[in-house]
Amino acid sequence: MTDATKVAAAASSRDPSVGLAAVASLRGLLESLEELQVTNARSQGWSWQQIAGALRVSRQAVHKKYRRFGF
Amino acid sequence: MFERFTDKARRVVVHAQESARERGADTIRTEHLLVSLFAVPDNLAVTVLTAHNVTRADIESDVDRMRGAGPAPSDADALASLGIDLDEVRRQVEEAFGPGALDRTRAAQNRGGRETGWIRFDPSSKKALGLALREAIRLEHNYIGTEHLLLGLIHEGAGGAYHILDGRGVHLGPSRIIVEELVRGKRAG
Repeated sequence: MTDATKVAAAASSRDPSVGLAAVASLRGLLESLEELQVTNARSQGWSWQQIAGALRVSRQAVHKKYRRFGF
Repeated sequence: MFERFTDKARRVVVHAQESARERGADTIRTEHLLVSLFAVPDNLAVTVLTAHNVTRADIESDVDRMRGAGPAPSDADALASLGIDLDEVRRQVEEAFGPGALDRTRAAQNRGGRETGWIRFDPSSKKALGLALREAIRLEHNYIGTEHLLLGLIHEGAGGAYHILDGRGVHLGPSRIIVEELVRGKRAG
């Protein structure tokens, strides 16, 4: 099955156990990628304002979420 | 109450945790207790079920059918259903940020922690364990064995396990009689 047909299959799947598990895994992947990118941006000297702008969220939101990382 | 549990009954309760996790459940339900009766070899609950011609395979298939699925899909499988290749994402990320970068994030490790954490009993399971105690008292047994756990599961309040057992023709009255006969002159199980 090609990727495009797989997307179509998932989009048309009415089985909640398939659809919800996909959303949960996608959210998990998103969180990991965001953390990696924010960490990388900070280590390259980006400001919270710059990071927030690129992520299209408020500066407060990104700072609140990542300040406990200590950077 | 747990201090009165026999060693085998304790092992069933501990195994129910594993059964729940294997099936991707967020609480231990009565059907997980039921299927775990078969995880401890040579016990009276299994003897009672065998007397009803109910096998381990029967119960396992009933439990799996209840949720419409076996174990929860892995992240890789779930993302594949959206056309996302997790291995490819991981490969790209590791190329930029080094080996294990994706799995080393706090976000990934917190998810791992939740999956291996303690799962609680749901209200029906707690009720079934209480009913097991009541069944033991009723039979004037001073311990709670696997046979009492089984009897505790054959009550309407026991939810999933009750429906499975009812569907397999395992009912409370006859099961109590079998337990009484088994225990008379036999050691607890």
